[in-house]
Parts: sequence; structure tokens; C-alpha cells
Amino acid sequence: MCDSCGCGDTNVVPFEVHERLLAGNDRTAAHNREHFHDHGVVAVNLMGSPGSGKTAVLEATARALGRHARLGVLAGDLATDNDAARIRAAGIVAESITTGSACHLDADMVHRGLHHLPWRTFDYLFIENVGNLVCPAVYDLGQDANVVALSVTEGEDKPLKYPTMFRKADLVLVTKVDLLPRLDVSLETIERNLVAVMPHPVMLLVSSKTGSGIGEWIRWLAGSGRRRLAPCASHAGEGVGV
Amino acid sequence: MHEYSLVQAMFDQIGEAVRANRALAVRRVYVRIGRYAGVEPELFRTAYEVFRVKTMCADAPLEIADAPDDELLLERLELEVP
Repeated sequence: MCDSCGCGDTNVVPFEVHERLLAGNDRTAAHNREHFHDHGVVAVNLMGSPGSGKTAVLEATARALGRHARLGVLAGDLATDNDAARIRAAGIVAESITTGSACHLDADMVHRGLHHLPWRTFDYLFIENVGNLVCPAVYDLGQDANVVALSVTEGEDKPLKYPTMFRKADLVLVTKVDLLPRLDVSLETIERNLVAVMPHPVMLLVSSKTGSGIGEWIRWLAGSGRRRLAPCASHAGEGVGV
Repeated sequence: MHEYSLVQAMFDQIGEAVRANRALAVRRVYVRIGRYAGVEPELFRTAYEVFRVKTMCADAPLEIADAPDDELLLERLELEVP
């Protein structure tokens, strides 16, 4: 007997599922995460709008950290190898994941991408997601941390317009701060909007062009590895709270 | 438009439920989409309408409930069984 609609059809029965729609992706993400942890790899999911400066941050990271740590990148791209080529030119091992029409990376794409990288040798694996402030936030990839690049040219209200993305962020890198003197943008307003949506608001101001703030970003990364070893540690005192 | 890939994943889950229960068809689908799930309910519904044609869900309306958090659940099915 169907209890829900009262149609009286004796052949209709309710079946409780109560499973996340992304349960399959979550299982693959857990598998990726287990791989990363077993081999001491800190995985960072770097997200942000197209043009927010994600690739430039990775180039600056290569300049600052490349001689001291083994870095690798999986770069999600709709149609080109451009980002991975830029990153390889900066001296980092990089592979593209060409998604075609897909607006995000999922855990299976990352898993298949790993087959093309010597990822077990890395200290840090950066997963540069497809440029998009909506879809990538929904998918767990097996990362240790979600980092969102938000450039000062994007406007102050992006955290309010795209709250899901910023709610998922462990860190927001406010990029292109060298452009601030030429823009009518208030950092205080950006900070206030981040505080409004992030459960644990942490942000760093960086310029990949001048190197400003990159040292703090590198220190945050090192802390990210330590946090993984002590997952119950408080967020206090790590990064720059806002 | 990740709503399409989410609906595709949901059809995989529904297919497993149909096989496990030896169901003849699905009569109704209940999902819960939280406010912060990063999913637009109407786009999800549109994707479902596209996918369900000529499937075991062809005659199964989609019921979407909301939630205050980031829940994204396939809650319940109504299955037609022998």
C-alpha cells in the first residue's frame, strides 16, 4: 500500500534511501585522500573565477617554494593545456585535466589525472579547479584544504553572491593587491563580506606579480600539512583571521 | 550546470534501488536540497525532466524539499513492485 499519496495502488511501496547524491564521488574522494595521506602528500583544491589569478599564484608558489619542496599540479581546463603549460614553464610538474563542457572537477577526474603524474614524490599537490565560483564547491576531490582565489578586480560582493564557495573555503587568497591603488575597491568591505559567509574566516593578501604576501601563503601551506597531522587542532593562530 | 551531472549520479542510485527491489518502475522521487548545497533546485528539476524520458522514472514526479544547510540527499523513492 502506498502510504505517501493514498493512491491505493497495492504494488507501490516506499523505499528509504537517505544517501547523498554525491555518495559515489565521496567514495572516490575518500580513496584519493587515503592515497595522499599514505604518501605524505598535502593536497590543495585551488578554486576561483576565471581570471582570478589561480595560475599566477601557482607560478609565484613555484618561485618561492620550488627549491625547497616537491610540487605538482593537476590543472582543470575546459579546452586547453594553457594553464599546465604556464606552470610547467615555472618549473613545476603539471598535467591538464581537460573537462570539455564540464564546469568542475570531480574526484574521479582527479583520480585518473593522478595516473599521469609522479604524485607519490610530491610534498604538495595543487589541484587547480576549473574557473567557476559555483560548481567546483560541490565536489570533494580528496583535498586537505580548499583555497579560493578572489582578485580585487572582481568586486567586493563576490562572497555574498557566491556564499557556497566561500563557506567551503579554508583560506581565501585576495589576489592582485598590487592593483589596489588603481581601483575603487575597499579591502575592509571584502573582509566584512568574507566574515559574513565563512565559518572560519581566514584570508591573505597576495600579489603574484610583486611577491607581496607569498611568504605568508607558503607559511599557511606548511601549517596546512601540520593541521592534517593534528586534525582536531583549533584554527586559532593559523593564517590571518579576519 | 553541474545539476546535470548530479541528476546523472542520482539515476545511478535509483538504478541500484530498482535492481535491489526488483522494481518495475519508479513512481515518485524525493530529494532534499539545502540552501547552501550549491545546487539550484529549478535547474535540478529541469535536468531531471531531460533525463527521465524513456527511463524507469518516466512517470515519476520529482519532489524537492529544502533545508537550511548544505544537505544534498536522495531521501526516498516510491517503487512499483510485482
